[in-house]
Amino acid sequence: MKNQLKFRTVFLVFLSVFFITSGFSQEVEKAKVRLKADYVKVMGGEVYFNINASAKVNDENIKVPDLDLTIYNEVGDEKIKLGEAKTDVNGDGKLVLESLNSIKPDSTNTYNVSISFKGNDSFKRASKSLSFRDAAIEAKLITEDSINYISATLIDNSIDSLIVGALLRVQVQRLFKPLKIGEEYNITDDDGTVVVTIPEGIPGEDGNLIVEVVLYESDAFGTVKALVQAPVGSVKVVDESTFNQRTMWSPRNKTPLFMLIFPNLLILGIWGFIIYLFINLFKIAKS
Amino acid sequence: MNNYDASLINDLAPRKFTKRGVIWTSFLVILIILGIIAYADQLIKGQVVTSMRDYALWGIYISNFVFFVATSFVGSVAVAILRLSKKSWRTPLVRIAEIITFASISMAGITIMIDMARPDRLLYLFIYGRLQSPIIWDVIIIPTFLAISFLLLYYPLLPDFAILKNHFKEKNSTLSKWYGRLSLNWSGSEVQKAVQSRAIKILAVLILPVGIVLQTIDAWLFSTTYRIGWDSTNFGPYFIAGAFVAGMGALIAVVYVVRRVRNLENYITDLHFDKLGKLLVLACLIYLYFNINEYLIPFFTAKKGEMTHLDVLFTGHYAPLFWFVTIGGLIIPIIVLMFKKGRKPFPMFIIALLVVVASWWKRYLIVTPTLLHPFLPIQGVPESWHHYFPSLHEWIITTATLAMALLIITLLVRYLPVIPIERTAEERELLKNNKNIES
Repeated sequence: MKNQLKFRTVFLVFLSVFFITSGFSQEVEKAKVRLKADYVKVMGGEVYFNINASAKVNDENIKVPDLDLTIYNEVGDEKIKLGEAKTDVNGDGKLVLESLNSIKPDSTNTYNVSISFKGNDSFKRASKSLSFRDAAIEAKLITEDSINYISATLIDNSIDSLIVGALLRVQVQRLFKPLKIGEEYNITDDDGTVVVTIPEGIPGEDGNLIVEVVLYESDAFGTVKALVQAPVGSVKVVDESTFNQRTMWSPRNKTPLFMLIFPNLLILGIWGFIIYLFINLFKIAKS
Repeated sequence: MNNYDASLINDLAPRKFTKRGVIWTSFLVILIILGIIAYADQLIKGQVVTSMRDYALWGIYISNFVFFVATSFVGSVAVAILRLSKKSWRTPLVRIAEIITFASISMAGITIMIDMARPDRLLYLFIYGRLQSPIIWDVIIIPTFLAISFLLLYYPLLPDFAILKNHFKEKNSTLSKWYGRLSLNWSGSEVQKAVQSRAIKILAVLILPVGIVLQTIDAWLFSTTYRIGWDSTNFGPYFIAGAFVAGMGALIAVVYVVRRVRNLENYITDLHFDKLGKLLVLACLIYLYFNINEYLIPFFTAKKGEMTHLDVLFTGHYAPLFWFVTIGGLIIPIIVLMFKKGRKPFPMFIIALLVVVASWWKRYLIVTPTLLHPFLPIQGVPESWHHYFPSLHEWIITTATLAMALLIITLLVRYLPVIPIERTAEERELLKNNKNIES
């Protein structure tokens, strides 16, 4: 009897191992998504939000693709849906606005935007808020004493005043990375303006340079960018393409004329003799 | 029309195959049938049945094509040069040279088509071809040379066909009829002789530059590609000299066999072999000179790519073949043929065979090693791309093309007078008259 009891106890303990462990087993913990958002305004061009999603999984930072994000404009207690974006393989998403007028500011002329992620099987829900005021950069090309300058003035549109002491980047668009010009730090003066000399000899297609003046990721205004077309570069990029010309590597309808004339004359000459000799065979047969 | 010496016509008129002739022809036909089967399989399965891959995209077919083109140069040398320089000893040799030329250039045209993965697109070469491309120059020059070599073979045959028509009238009326048709009603009239003589003169002049252009274009197919081992301004004359050697080798070998089979010792004498031997030495010396140019300067300047290529040839994978081709195909023939005893028929035949075999392999060495050193090396290529040795399909098809060339020669030797009857008779008459006048 005692042995039977012992056996039952051992059997129950053995079974309980499975039940207890299954009780402890739970769903894998969802990772936390980090959202990063920037407001970007290109003067006379697009207004958009750049969003990036990342997460820490197994102590490793990863970019999170295929997240469905919803972007809202928050005005007081009201949340107006602006649109949706989906992150790509790099975790980047973008929502382009028709214009800044399509969103409403609050009473202090500050725009409040929130980006929201509902959550999915792998990641917890997340959101990110963004507040910014509207700023503008007025940039122009000035030439004085044969020296070319870019003059840019930064304006806070929300209070219609110049912004003093702000750091502006002045750079020339290049193929891979923009080329910074001017001082290391171009800070707006009392007139909210920076003036930067454009160095000579920067090559551009047909001598045209595109100069960017950028207020970069400002806490108050986001990123504001102005582009100036400046025909002050040097013409170093010479188009050496022989497209549509008669060359040895052209298609057959663009064969060089000498290649058409001399070989064809040679071929016709030789085949003229050959045909003449074949005709002579008929002459022999008839004579 | 003259009444020629009956024994002369008997000696030179075509004869039926002997038993050995039948066996030989049957053997060639079997090889050709095997080749056709292999080619049909290649057409169905694609060029994957060959060993050609992305590196060695030209293989044995192109080597064989270059060999046929080179051999066809014998027409330009033996017929045109000897005719224009008025060497009377050429008479019993010219027709064999013309036959080899015609057979070789016909097979060159066929061989290049075998190399095409889609021969059904051959017409595209003419429709969409660019005149800037050396491939198109080749497409133009081969039919041109084929037409000229056909005419050069046919024109001098006209009087002989007329003689054969009469000769076979009683023995074989069908054959006589065919010779009659082929003779184009040749009666030997002044008008016919004048037209024929003018035509042969034009052809003798025409075949020389066209032959040189053919060999040069063949060389330019390679030298216009920037590839190490091909990118050489020397390549045009190098190919012409090589063709001179290959053509002379083939001529001597065929002349020897025809002489023995047809018992033509009274017509093709030791003197002819002596002359041909001297010509072959000259050809080998010229080719040796161009070979030295071709290999010494890259060796001297020792650019890295060139040295890799030369190492493979001199001491590497292709060294045994390279030294066989150089020593067996050039040095030994020069040494042997320098001596009068070496210019006797049998030694000449052995040397000629050596020269022909070496000439074939020489083309293989020109085409293959260069392709195995790509201009822009690719990373991670399959190991098989680094090596090339022809597949069974390639060997069978190539052997069949060589057999087909030999079959064309055999059939033409069977049905045509291999030594011009009329011209030999006239020369003999002239000789007799001269002797009479002297006595």
